[in-house]
Amino acid sequence: MGAEEDQKARFAKLITPYLSHAYRLARSIASSHIDAEDIVQEACLRAFRGINGVADINARAWLLTIVHHTACTWLRKNRPTALISVVDVAAVEAKQAKFSEQDADTPETALIAKTDRARLEAAIGSLSLPYRETFALREVEGLNYREIAEITGVPIGTVMSRLSRARDQLNDMIERNKL
Amino acid sequence: MTNSISSSSSDNSIQLVHAYMDGELDLTTALSIEEKIAADPKLAAERDRIIALRDAVQQNLPRDPIPPTLQRRIEKTIGLRQENSHPSWRSLAASVALAVLVTGSSTWLFLDSKAPQTMEDAVVAGHIRALMAPQPADVASSERHTVKPWFNGRVVEAPHVADLTNAGFPLIGGRIDIVAGRPVPTLVYGRRKHIISLTAVPNASKATSGPSVSVDNGYNIVHWVTNGISYWAVSDVSDPELDEFAKLFRATQS
Repeated sequence: MGAEEDQKARFAKLITPYLSHAYRLARSIASSHIDAEDIVQEACLRAFRGINGVADINARAWLLTIVHHTACTWLRKNRPTALISVVDVAAVEAKQAKFSEQDADTPETALIAKTDRARLEAAIGSLSLPYRETFALREVEGLNYREIAEITGVPIGTVMSRLSRARDQLNDMIERNKL
Repeated sequence: MTNSISSSSSDNSIQLVHAYMDGELDLTTALSIEEKIAADPKLAAERDRIIALRDAVQQNLPRDPIPPTLQRRIEKTIGLRQENSHPSWRSLAASVALAVLVTGSSTWLFLDSKAPQTMEDAVVAGHIRALMAPQPADVASSERHTVKPWFNGRVVEAPHVADLTNAGFPLIGGRIDIVAGRPVPTLVYGRRKHIISLTAVPNASKATSGPSVSVDNGYNIVHWVTNGISYWAVSDVSDPELDEFAKLFRATQS
């Protein structure tokens, strides 16, 4: 009884402040927001069950690690095709084509800076899973390489190369409609 | 991680530009990649592309909060949220947050009105510690697009970062100092061989106050308040020079 109250209090104190971070990570991994919600809910249950077993934790990184693992298991079970990198280039290009006219003679960097939300999301969504997860953890959540390496379970060097490739691919996609 | 990286391959250099822009390089490696960027238009273009993409993400990709319905569902599943007979966990949390906020800001009021000396001491202590450390900045970069995002998630509000290179005050990097038990951002600028620490402490009052000059432990200090942020510039450069620095920095704030 007391133990369970304690568990709840720890969850409220350590995990609740990071629920939005967990949700955004799940969104960057899963392609639909419904899937993301299921993943976050399952991850929170796991976090709740494990919360008394961990002392002094970096709660944000701990929760995001759980979300990462939950998402991978969940996708393997429910969306096996999602784990194969599906690059729907045609859809992205069609979406971007709308914008290409007005940007005809903008320099590259100005073009990237002018990208709007729809185009950015489409481009990010077309990255393979490890790339878009790493990119989101860095550019949206502002985590450092060490934290990203811990959460995604890869060496720091891999984080570095994934990030530079993810950015290259994004910039290429955004710039491609220039010509 | 960075020591073993050879500089011969340009693929490597490109990855290092990314790591540099992410504030992940130690001072020596950061300096060497800065030189390479200055010498190689290809690397400079890579840097510009990273900045452009980062700006696009920051401006156009809002950091969506968790949908309230999902949060309620989670709290209910775990048992944090009772049916309506009790005050909901969220309103409880809100009142706790409010209480913390009130106590927090009254602490600042107290500090501001009764112990400005304490804050000045803490800021000077941060400067001295940084001079004794192997490097004066935790993130070493002359690129403000790298320094500013580095503060995100480390302090409540990333500070305003001004580029004063042309005026002879190159940006060296940034670090976190602890003032009154709180992490606050400090920008590190250079002046010839000297270091200027500019610490930005959130202030309880929104009042603006003009620059005041003092000396503490042999260091010159210029202090001013703008937009609810208390700025402390600390250095061993001469006071006219520190004055000029403060004036230039303040000019970029308006």
